[in-house]
Amino acid sequence: MIIVTTFEVPGRSISTNLGLVRGSAVRSRHIGRDILAMMKQIVGGEVEEYTKLMAEVREQSLDRMVAEAQARGADAIVGMRFASTEVARGAAEFLVYGTAVKLDPE
Amino acid sequence: MTAPETEPTRDELLAMAYVDGELDEAARVEFDARLRAEPALLREVSELRQFGVIARQVAPPEPMDYEWERLDKEVLYGGSQRLGLFLIALAAAGFALLGVITIWASSLEPVPKFLVGALLLGLSLVFLATLRGRLRTLPHDPYTEVRR
Repeated sequence: MIIVTTFEVPGRSISTNLGLVRGSAVRSRHIGRDILAMMKQIVGGEVEEYTKLMAEVREQSLDRMVAEAQARGADAIVGMRFASTEVARGAAEFLVYGTAVKLDPE
Repeated sequence: MTAPETEPTRDELLAMAYVDGELDEAARVEFDARLRAEPALLREVSELRQFGVIARQVAPPEPMDYEWERLDKEVLYGGSQRLGLFLIALAAAGFALLGVITIWASSLEPVPKFLVGALLLGLSLVFLATLRGRLRTLPHDPYTEVRR
């Protein structure tokens, strides 16, 4: 699956627009990790616990979007965008969306 | 000497095609039905998904990753963290138990006492059920290996 943030795939032409595809997920770390993250916020530096949390939820959202595109028979997703919010303290939501398309044969 | 590589079985090939989204609609529905009934096949799919997620983490490790690894092995750092978290968990459980005993031994009327007891029992049951759910689904969650 080709995923691009541009609205076209270089060197390929789009034959069919299959519509919006999206994937979202909300994840949290366990309370032990929250305590360690709280301590790191006191001393400074990267809060790895939350870096990992954001990375986990980003990958899961991305996979969900790709699964939806595959189910529609897409060859690529164009105009892909990420958005994130905090739905609860210590829980991150990622939303990934784009347009699923079919490409002309090379 | 390395062990000779064996050919993947038909189920392993099917699982790979399923994970890559290469099965047609009918085959996917049939495979979905098998996943509900066959834990071994579900485990195979989970492992493939996990492998796929790890494989796309192509960025090389950062210098501080090695330092974190060294620190985790140090008794003073890793041991202090683990002991600290254990003591916090122990104190939280102790306070909860103390609260239950205090309410039980208090001069509260039977109805409020029953309601507080029901609330605590309800919270405990919901927590244990949630914990069980997490432990059951953890082996099928490929994203726990993602680092950044």
